[in-house]
Amino acid sequence: MTDDSKPISRKAFIEELRRYQKGSVTRRHFLGVTGLGTAMAVMGGSMPALLPGRARAADLGNRVVLATWPNYHDPANFDDFADKFGVYTQVNVFGSNEEMLAKIQAGGSGWDVFVPTNYAIQTYVDADLIEPLDLSKIPNYDPASFDPRFAVAGTIDGKVYAVPKNWGTTGIAFNSKKTGGVVDSWKTFFDGARDQFDGRVMVHDYQLTTIGNALVYFGHSFNSVDPSDLADAEKLLLDVKPHLYAISSDYQPAMRNGDAWLTMCWTGDGKQMHTDMPEIGFALGKEGGEIWSDYYAIPKDAPHREAAYALINFLLDPQVNAKEALAHGYPVADKRVNDLLPEELLDDPILYPAAEALAPLEFGAAVTLTDPNRAELMARFKSA
Amino acid sequence: MRLYALAVYAFLYLPIAIIALFSFSAGRSAASLQGFSVHWYHKALHNPFVLEALWTSVRVAFLSALLATIAGTLASLALTGMRGRVRAIFDTLVQVAVMIPGIVIGIATLIALVSVFDLVNPWLEPLTGLKLSLGTGSLVAAHGLFTMSLVILLVRGRMESLDPALIEASGDLGATPVATFFQVTLPQILPAIMAGFLLAFTFSFDDFIIAFFVAGSDTTLPIYIFSSIRRGVTPEINAIGTMVMGASLTILIVAQVMLRRSQAQPRP
Amino acid sequence: MAITRRQARALLLTPAGLWYAALLLLPLAVVLIFSFGERSPIGGYAPGFTLEQYANLPSRFAAFRNTLTLAPLGTVAALLIAYPLAYFLALRVDPKWKTLLLVLVIVPFWTSILIRSYAWIFLLGGKGIPALLAQFGLEDIRLLNTPFAVLLGIVYGYLPLMVFPIYVALEKLDKRLLEAAADLGTPPWRSFLQITLPLSMPGVLTGSMLVFILLMGEFLIPSILGGGKVFFIGNAMVDLFLQSRNWAFGSAVAVALVVIMLITVAIYSRLIKRFGASRDDVGLM
Repeated sequence: MTDDSKPISRKAFIEELRRYQKGSVTRRHFLGVTGLGTAMAVMGGSMPALLPGRARAADLGNRVVLATWPNYHDPANFDDFADKFGVYTQVNVFGSNEEMLAKIQAGGSGWDVFVPTNYAIQTYVDADLIEPLDLSKIPNYDPASFDPRFAVAGTIDGKVYAVPKNWGTTGIAFNSKKTGGVVDSWKTFFDGARDQFDGRVMVHDYQLTTIGNALVYFGHSFNSVDPSDLADAEKLLLDVKPHLYAISSDYQPAMRNGDAWLTMCWTGDGKQMHTDMPEIGFALGKEGGEIWSDYYAIPKDAPHREAAYALINFLLDPQVNAKEALAHGYPVADKRVNDLLPEELLDDPILYPAAEALAPLEFGAAVTLTDPNRAELMARFKSA
Repeated sequence: MRLYALAVYAFLYLPIAIIALFSFSAGRSAASLQGFSVHWYHKALHNPFVLEALWTSVRVAFLSALLATIAGTLASLALTGMRGRVRAIFDTLVQVAVMIPGIVIGIATLIALVSVFDLVNPWLEPLTGLKLSLGTGSLVAAHGLFTMSLVILLVRGRMESLDPALIEASGDLGATPVATFFQVTLPQILPAIMAGFLLAFTFSFDDFIIAFFVAGSDTTLPIYIFSSIRRGVTPEINAIGTMVMGASLTILIVAQVMLRRSQAQPRP
Repeated sequence: MAITRRQARALLLTPAGLWYAALLLLPLAVVLIFSFGERSPIGGYAPGFTLEQYANLPSRFAAFRNTLTLAPLGTVAALLIAYPLAYFLALRVDPKWKTLLLVLVIVPFWTSILIRSYAWIFLLGGKGIPALLAQFGLEDIRLLNTPFAVLLGIVYGYLPLMVFPIYVALEKLDKRLLEAAADLGTPPWRSFLQITLPLSMPGVLTGSMLVFILLMGEFLIPSILGGGKVFFIGNAMVDLFLQSRNWAFGSAVAVALVVIMLITVAIYSRLIKRFGASRDDVGLM
């Protein structure tokens, strides 16, 4: 039997992870050789508690509800979390920060952990919907190892309300077999939608990116709330709408089966599709667009607060987080995680675009979340 | 004609066949078949969230159907043979409740309850330590509103077709109104009450739209299915759908058989 | 202690009355009040008195147009598909098979409409029926995320609700009438037009009304099969509550929807009275 407590080299870890993901080794073997199994043995639980209401492992309860984005986690990690702590994770996915905010605002969302984007956190704090985190319960969060660019939005007035999950960009995914090459500008995206890609283009069901990229098309700021800029964007969007394949933030199925050729796309989705289907590429719009960072936060009325802390802490464990990154393909701001990731992932141009490609991108601004004109523009666009 | 019927049945069952077929797929993707396995059934049956959602659905459906049947039946008793303004008001309420789209009911109930809670909680919480919130209570109330109206339509219809002479005769023979109700009226309207209960249960169990808005942090089975589907359809969801259909079918067949038996046996 | 008949009635009506007051009248009143309010700065509702929300209704013209065209169209399509089936089940099927065949019509109803609609995504998507059509030379047919997909979805979803009332009406039909007509040498198509169809009208109207009411408030099927492109009033409304968080405007849209329903149902009730459908048929479903 291998010694569970012996540290494992980064290279060996990656190899094991790959083998595990391909299914050639069992989870038990994987956990054993990587050392992740030690904790499991200590917890003494390899059989999950199946009966609702039966608490295990010190006050955590047996469930935790996570509100997150599509294709943003490694499902195996939740299985591991359940094995270790007896806590099952219910994953609810959303298509926009607006949708998350609406659900929390209406009261009783029932979430324990959710994943707001940088620009949304200020609003949650102002509306008194989230509370400062008790960092002593998240020992795996080490502020020093995070790139401050992608961690700063979680701290407001000196208090940490949210800890960084991943960062990324909003670019364009294209099926090069159909588009005949790289699509790397919003000009081609929106003009092509009305021309050679008629009926094959998808935009997000999300005001920030759909309106933002339409603004960028005209050379306006991604975050503009100026009425005349927004009027330009609305005209473009209404003009394009009849030619779109769909307005949806869940574009992977349509891209994968060839119904859609071109879509607004988040980094990780681009990486996931590219890995499985090399003909699908990902590029940033050269006029600009969004760079973002997502955070874990806990709503004020979270029903399972302790389990929420346990889940965040678990997911921030560098080895768990590395598995997450390999599954979802979003860059991580945590040095400790990047030390575990394979070189080719760290060199991947989808995850880590060249500095000049990132230069024109903008972080979302808080005002866009609450601006009534942007909200109404998006609603009008959808019901047009 | 027969061919046509066959085509319509094919139309009705094509998606169901797809669901059932994919529920046995061994792979994770619900878009292509990869071998045969009952793995997803096992997984669904051991998923505590599925079980909890199922339990919530059953509990809400049972409670709301029970309360709606009681309130609806009582109201029908009063409304039968009644005339005047009160009757007109109730007739209108019943019709409006049945007619208003579920989506309007759901949203209206949500914003009304949230507003009421915002008013009441600052007073209630310091006094009792309790806080009103959306959940099973609001689900039962919102579902019951609609299904109570269905019960009233059914039971009142049945009551009005009863022979008033029977009730008069019972009174003439010296039975108290309460005795008359239990011995004469109730046995005759029982089928309508049962039908109302079943209809109410089915509606509540199946409802997504109203529940979506008023469930708060509770998760009913349709809500669970909805949020899972947004994450991508897996064979697990197909397995759940197949099982729910199988269970309904079994219940229906059992009910049918029991009904036949009870009809076949002469009353003692 | 004896109670009067009046008191007994009041007592019996109390639970239902309270229920209606708290969960029908109060919510509708709140919606009405909110519809005159404003959107609060971070979204939600802010008190006020303005007609601004109603003035903004024309901006949702397309949603109203889609609903008011696709709901009647869906109703008619469901009717056209359901009628022959109901006719077949009521008049042409061996009685021994009748129950089974009827049950088979409702069974699909017991699988979540969500899952069934998602099955259509697969069927209508590029790898489904369009791929099949391509084999026959019909290239590049797009079905998903079109009004057609939504229409198909709603017809599929509500077909059983149409079949049943028509079946009930046809079942009640006195078959001796048809025999007599045949004896008198009336051609079948004529006796259908002059006897069967008029006598099944109550069922037709009940079924259509039922389906129409449900379609007017539809939101799920367009959002699943319409790809965010085919919006019904229900979708526009949900969007206002769940995305742009404009409760005031959302309430105004809800009020408009209810008013439209009231008007169309009033017209329909007239029609039903004219064709002499009894209330029982409406109650049956």
